[in-house]
Amino acid sequence: MTDGGMMEAGAILRVRDLRKNFAVGGGHHLVAVDGVSLDVAAGETLALVGESGSGKSTVARCIVRLIEPSGGDVAIDGQSILPLEPRRLAGVYRRIQMVFQDPNASLNPRMSVRQVLDEPLRLHLDLPRAARTERLHELVEMVGLTAAHLDRYPHELSGGQRQRVGIARAIAVSPDIVILDEPTSSLDVSVRGQILDLLLDLQQRLGLAYLFISHDLQVVQHVADRVAVMYLGGIVETGPTRSIFGAPRHPYTRALLSAAPVAQWGVTRTRLRLSGEITSPIDPPDACRLVGRCPLAQPACATAKPALIDIGGDHAVACPVVTERIPTC
Amino acid sequence: MSTLLEIENYSGGFRSETGELTPILHHVSFGLQSGAITAVVGETGSGKSLVALSILGIQPSSFVRRSGRILFRGVDLLGLDERAMRRIRGAEISMVFQDARAALNPVFTVGRQLADVYQLQHGGGRSAAMKQAIEALRRVSIPEPERRARQYPHEFSGGMAQRAMIAMAALICEPSLLILDEPTTGLDVTIQSDIMELIVGLCRQRGLTTCLITHDLGVVAETCDAVVVMNAGRIVETASAEAIFTRPRDPYTQRLLSASQLVEAPA
Repeated sequence: MTDGGMMEAGAILRVRDLRKNFAVGGGHHLVAVDGVSLDVAAGETLALVGESGSGKSTVARCIVRLIEPSGGDVAIDGQSILPLEPRRLAGVYRRIQMVFQDPNASLNPRMSVRQVLDEPLRLHLDLPRAARTERLHELVEMVGLTAAHLDRYPHELSGGQRQRVGIARAIAVSPDIVILDEPTSSLDVSVRGQILDLLLDLQQRLGLAYLFISHDLQVVQHVADRVAVMYLGGIVETGPTRSIFGAPRHPYTRALLSAAPVAQWGVTRTRLRLSGEITSPIDPPDACRLVGRCPLAQPACATAKPALIDIGGDHAVACPVVTERIPTC
Repeated sequence: MSTLLEIENYSGGFRSETGELTPILHHVSFGLQSGAITAVVGETGSGKSLVALSILGIQPSSFVRRSGRILFRGVDLLGLDERAMRRIRGAEISMVFQDARAALNPVFTVGRQLADVYQLQHGGGRSAAMKQAIEALRRVSIPEPERRARQYPHEFSGGMAQRAMIAMAALICEPSLLILDEPTTGLDVTIQSDIMELIVGLCRQRGLTTCLITHDLGVVAETCDAVVVMNAGRIVETASAEAIFTRPRDPYTQRLLSASQLVEAPA
């Protein structure tokens, strides 16, 4: 199968063959997620990276069923959640929570920080009022805010503070895993560092697992234990962070890494260039999604969609050309 | 090297409805060397875009200048009337904005918009202008420029639309000074890299004086000759790009650089 080395018994989150199609009219389908499988173990960070349109945010939203997947399986701690009726998902959300990219859009402007944080406590935990108040104070302190912030509204907070509230809301019910969807993308670089430090600190203290969705490769290298690279709905390469950044194999991963500018003097990059732009995800053919842009493409790449091939060291690549299944002619 | 544009002691703020003035820019002074690519770097609220808009005289109307001059070839742009300013915009100084699809007019084809600007700047007939528009699209590596010229902005991807804007600002207008305000923010990293190569290629080849407004020090390290660092409406450091990255002197520059590289700031 496709997931060889990354199958782990103790996975908190297990996703198998996840699919999501959107009907776009005229009998056509946009394939947003095309058979994604991944595991996140307790306490680890798996980064899902890719450019816009790769389907990484759709994967996140399907996992928590903000949108309903078209197929596949999602299990939290061994329990499949896709067959559950929506009203039974509350139990699932005690285990898995999400932080969104834009804290301006994900916090209700009419709710104070206290109301925002109290809601998950009331919904999920059967606590007396005094215990909830105590928990609220504990939460704001955990994310580097103070009790004085509890009675403020989102517009009275800076972007970084709002994202801290978003993080506090996610950890309020003590989940096992938090999905972070581009948590630092809307922040300035100086604030970005503080939020990343906070996330790493909370992970250590609470033993959280993260599914960290990002297009920022520098951030991913900084926080992730393992990385999965997505392109047009599928994972094209996955492995430990050190192998992905140190020895990327898939042409798309190499193109992506070599395109990222470095804020240092005198660094020269040897770019692997893809021709053109990302191709249409509507009614894709049974072929490698990169075939029209790839400098290494062979005729066989256009006839079948390559599966992930385990190349050892928990590293898998969906490109038979670089894993030498197809001789280069 | 001579200085094409010199901003001297530029200060001002926003006037609220109650008449109160909130100071935003504090004694901003820097110069743009002819033929060089100069970056103006800063975070949200640093005032970098406001300075860029002021050069073209398109700052928000609630902005009130308290002091300063913006000298272009020795002439104070802030003293020019609207008619004189219109002769400068496009012909002498042109600008590329962050969101190209929002900057283009959605109801006209991309070719028509480039052709209109060509006619405005250089005169001549409609068909000659359209030929120039198509040629400009070709030179920014837009595939099938004849077909693309007949398309509307919504049919362009973000990267392609930004190429078209660069074609308009740099090739159709043929300015002496090109200002780019966050030209690759919001674009994917592979597209961003291609767009920056295009910008640098055009500027070097044409000897165009270029001012790049950005928050991204990674882009700056690879493309710029000089750097102006802004924080909270003030210039905190001005130096060659090499000096900024190898010997940053101001504590804010040092912190910004560390944050960009995700390393601990030196104590």
